[in-house]
Formats: sequence, structure tokens, C-alpha cells
Amino acid sequence: MDAFKVLEIKKSVYEGNDKRAGALRSGLKKDGVFLLNLMSSPGSGKTTTVMRTIEALRGDMRIGVLEADIDSDVDARTVAESGTRVIQLHSGGMCHLTADMTRQGLEGLGTEGLDLVILENIGNLICTAEVDVGAAKSAMILSVPEGDDKPLKYPMMFERVDVLLINKIDAISFFNFDMEAVRERVTAMNPGIKIIPISAKTGEGVAEWADWIRSAVRDWKRA
Amino acid sequence: MVPPSIVSTGEVGSLHELSVVIEVVRTVEEFARENGVTRIDKLVLQIGELSSMIPQYIEDCFPCAVDGTSMVDTKLEIEILPGNGRCRSCGAMFNLVANKGICPECGVKDAEVISGKEFMIKEIVAC
Repeated sequence: MDAFKVLEIKKSVYEGNDKRAGALRSGLKKDGVFLLNLMSSPGSGKTTTVMRTIEALRGDMRIGVLEADIDSDVDARTVAESGTRVIQLHSGGMCHLTADMTRQGLEGLGTEGLDLVILENIGNLICTAEVDVGAAKSAMILSVPEGDDKPLKYPMMFERVDVLLINKIDAISFFNFDMEAVRERVTAMNPGIKIIPISAKTGEGVAEWADWIRSAVRDWKRA
Repeated sequence: MVPPSIVSTGEVGSLHELSVVIEVVRTVEEFARENGVTRIDKLVLQIGELSSMIPQYIEDCFPCAVDGTSMVDTKLEIEILPGNGRCRSCGAMFNLVANKGICPECGVKDAEVISGKEFMIKEIVAC
């Protein structure tokens, strides 16, 4: 019988993805492409927010969009109607995107000449938060109807993002949504986070969000 | 009021775990190739108590992840690493899970996570 021996590997399971994410990020940095990882639950208004963001920024920068979903291309069609370069990624049932899937998406999209690529991640507040896709910055949307308790239920997402957009504020009078409670809960977990209340429907707050992106893209290209 | 009891449920071998276990198998097979290993009898993983991975689901989806690979007969062993923290108020070290994040020394709920988020491929028993 062959002699079995113990071979130590001691490798983090996430190491492979983290390495690929790091390589993707430095490649994008070299090309001056700012990749924004946008995450949220399904139905929070991600695509409408993406459309508003494109409207606000299209005069200043060239934008591409990666739409990631388990299935369908409805979101990509919506974005394509605005004349923006867009590609639909299908995760094949997977609940989050990896750095490798993002790289494939970017290659499919073609990033030459783009300043900003918005990755509309799969609608999911859980594991999308813990997988590095190689983005320069990450943002999430919490919409008013989802409730002000979400930071308590899905802390990791709120701990890790750079920006929290609170969407559908035009509907706030119909819901028991305590804006101050959200601010307190979120800044306690993530003191550096930028919180911007918006309405992708009416456009309220979108200018502040667009300003944040402009300055982040500028810093990315300069540093 | 009696707090409601918590029952953990989930699909057997959920997709979240499966995608990660497939990545684990890929990494181990690569390691085996590089080290001239032909037969892997056992794979040992380490999962932190505070990791998002649920050991039971990892075990459930392991047969599916190794199907059609060189590891189809490999046994899986999982070691659990404790979720420990240090109290930011008094500096005491304690298990975050057992104490629900509350320092047993001073009663403050503000601890820095020291360990427990790991998900490691520890070793293989092979020839």
C-alpha cells in the first residue's frame, strides 16, 4: 500500500479570488477605468438608479454598464435604450459574482475609452458583500420600503461599502422608515461611509451622488 | 418575554456553499498536481465560527463538487475555529458566539473580532 502523508496547504479559500480581484483592479487603474460595484436587494431600484446616474454624468464621462442577473436581459435592454454601452452577465444561478466573472464581463463589454463602469451586481445583500470583484469603490442601495432594520439584519454589506444610497425617499411618508435610526446604525458599524438619500424616480439627491462619483473617478485617475 | 428560539434552515448544499467548494476543489487539485500527488485520501478544511460558511452545507455539497474530479473518493474533514474577540472597553478576550458579543467581564457589547472569519484549506492526507 502507498504511504499516505499529511501535506500542509494552509491557504485561505478566498485567496484565489482575492488575487484575481487585485490583478483586475490594478489593470483597471492602469487603464484609468473606475469600476463601481453597486449592490442591493432585488427591487430596490438599482436599474432606475443606474439610469439616473448615467443621465447625470453622461456629459462628463464615458460610461459602461455590466448588468448581472441570474437570468433575463430586461435590465440590459433598459440601459441599452439610453445609448450606453452595456452587457448582460448571467451568473447561471450563482448568488454572487466573482472577480473572474467580472473580468469576463469587462472583456465582453470592452473598456477602451471608458472612464466609469457600473457593475450592477446580483440582487442580494448577503454574499455579494464578501466577494471582492476588483472594483475601485462599492456602493449599495437600501430602499425605503425595505425598512430601516436592514443594517441590523445584513451588517456585513453595510460595514463594507463606501456609499449607502437610501432610495425611494419620495415614498417615505407611506412607510415607517426612520432615517435617523438608519444613519446611527450604519455610521456605528462603518464610520467612513457616505450616506446619500435619493429618489431615482424624482431625481432628488442624484446630484450629490453624481458629485461623489465625479470626485472618486478623478481621484482614481490621478493617484 | 421568552426570546423566540432560532432554527437554522436552508437548502441542502446551498448554491452559495457549492460555488465556494468548487473553488476549493480546484485549488486542491492544482496543489496536488504541483506536488506530484496522485491520490488524496482526505481533505481538511478549517471554518471559523463567524464565517458565512455553514459546515453542514459544505459537507452536503462536497460530493457534488468532487463529482467527475480526481477527488471523487476523497474524505472531507472540517475543523471549526473559534470566533474570539477582544473587548474594546476592558480588553478581555472572550468567545463572541457563546457570549452573544457581550463581554463577560464588563458587560459592554463592543468587541473587535480577533478570529473566526477564516475559511482555510488546512491540509490533505495524500500519496
